[in-house]
Amino acid sequence: MATYTKHHCWSLLLRLFHWMFALSIVFLVVTGFYISNPWTNTMIEGSAAWPMANMRYIHYLAAYVFSAAVAIRLFLYIFGNAQERILDILPVTGRNINNLFMTLMQYSYISDKHDERLGHNILAGLAYLFTFIAAIVMIVSGFYMLFPEAPFWEGWGLTLFGSQQFARYLHHILMWWFMIFAVIHIYLCVWNDVKEPEGLISSIFTGVKFKHKA
Amino acid sequence: MADTVNNALEPRLDRRGFLKGCTMAAAALGLSEAMIPKMVEAAASAERPRVIWLHFQECTGCTESLLRSSHPDLARLLLDIISLDYHETVMAAAGHQAEQNLHETVDKHPFLLVVEGAIPTKDNGIYCKIAGKTAMDILKTVAPKATAIIAIGTCATFGGVQAAAPNPTGAVGVQDLVSGKPIVNIPGCPPNPVSFLGTVLHYLTFKKLPALDKLNRPLFAYGRRIHDHCERRAHFDEGRFVENFGDQGHKLGYCLYKVGCKGPETFSNCPAVRFNDVDVWPVSVGHGCVGCTEPNFWDTMTPFYERLPNVKIPATGIIDSADRVGKTVLGVTAAAVGIHAVVGIGKRLIKGKSEE
Repeated sequence: MATYTKHHCWSLLLRLFHWMFALSIVFLVVTGFYISNPWTNTMIEGSAAWPMANMRYIHYLAAYVFSAAVAIRLFLYIFGNAQERILDILPVTGRNINNLFMTLMQYSYISDKHDERLGHNILAGLAYLFTFIAAIVMIVSGFYMLFPEAPFWEGWGLTLFGSQQFARYLHHILMWWFMIFAVIHIYLCVWNDVKEPEGLISSIFTGVKFKHKA
Repeated sequence: MADTVNNALEPRLDRRGFLKGCTMAAAALGLSEAMIPKMVEAAASAERPRVIWLHFQECTGCTESLLRSSHPDLARLLLDIISLDYHETVMAAAGHQAEQNLHETVDKHPFLLVVEGAIPTKDNGIYCKIAGKTAMDILKTVAPKATAIIAIGTCATFGGVQAAAPNPTGAVGVQDLVSGKPIVNIPGCPPNPVSFLGTVLHYLTFKKLPALDKLNRPLFAYGRRIHDHCERRAHFDEGRFVENFGDQGHKLGYCLYKVGCKGPETFSNCPAVRFNDVDVWPVSVGHGCVGCTEPNFWDTMTPFYERLPNVKIPATGIIDSADRVGKTVLGVTAAAVGIHAVVGIGKRLIKGKSEE
């Protein structure tokens, strides 16, 4: 007797975005720390190890994957399925505002009620939107540092950051948000999977969630 | 041996020095040698452009570096090809006579304006006064009549040290006050005299200002990143760094990145043109670049021996490195997550498992 029904939730493109984004961030953070403060020192001359050159190369490769992932997410915010579009997570409708309130109550252990919903809850959706905007700042500041002489990036970089050094500073500080986000994101995914089993964690691999039969 | 103290004190420039100076400027501008005769012709023309040189909030270091460059030909060439009608450091006139020279040129002749030093704007600009007038008023009178303006040094371009936080006198650069005039910024603390000379000779030869970047700096001098032309760059890519001043890596001439060199974010021709005729510049003698040609460098490039500025958290007095603050916030987040989980488990233990 099946008490659960299968619901298609995340498109293949969204799952692709998620893993491109997550894996590129891991590489970007590790190589970014190295570039900021290289923890090795090549003491043997003529060893041709090129650690800084290689770290920078990996950083740029991962940065292009990251940028492509953000472009995919932007596309899905506009043209994705019902769960992926931006209006599904903005607290602009009564249903969404109610969900935001209920989620806050549930997360702070005040209430046990859970707002049944196929896509993101509004609190999660807003955190993702903030991360999406932070990602755009990372991309613009990154390309401004990579191509400072290119008129396009020079113009935008100077308008937004004022100088190379300030772009570098912001790029470094915002990186910490992605690490903090990862801690909270993984914790809350596990927490939700324990509280309200619907196959949340496997859904980012399979695209499928399970809901109680009404 | 170079005539570093100018023993000869010969006021006129000999032909050899004249050609040498023009060739140096042509090389700095990236012009072909075929252009040198044209440049020589322009520089030798009888019509010497009139130049007014205004000093505001500054240390006169830009003028000093220009005049005392060990290459006397450079300064002499410059003084030879322009008619310097007003320059507080080198003019012979004083008092009313100096003022009269200034007004005569401003009112009756076309002239190039060179500004050295920042302009204080707070409290109607009373923090810098010359001949009873504020720097703001002087600039307001002189600038509209100039054919073009060259702002020399980081103070005149971006405000310099006076404009560093909290900027008590409200100091700004020329481009923040003057509009509608072609402005060339030649930042640096001090800038290389060759960059200034190149701009002037370009103007004389082609009757127009050189191509500029978005910060109005001539591309021939500020178009490329110091880091990309640094003689220590190979050590950077190979991961050989100076960890502390005076260590083995420092003695071997390794990359100064980890002791705060700002070469990767600074644009200037220092590694190519170098200074003082003896082919030196800060990085070649073992000190990192401090980024003196960039806007707000006193605020964003400090601490000079760290990679990034410190994080200042308002209203707490906390000033610490970005990574220390980041680690603390990440640690607090992890602790909060742990507490949240413990509260959840505790609640379940007390209330019992809810019905599925």
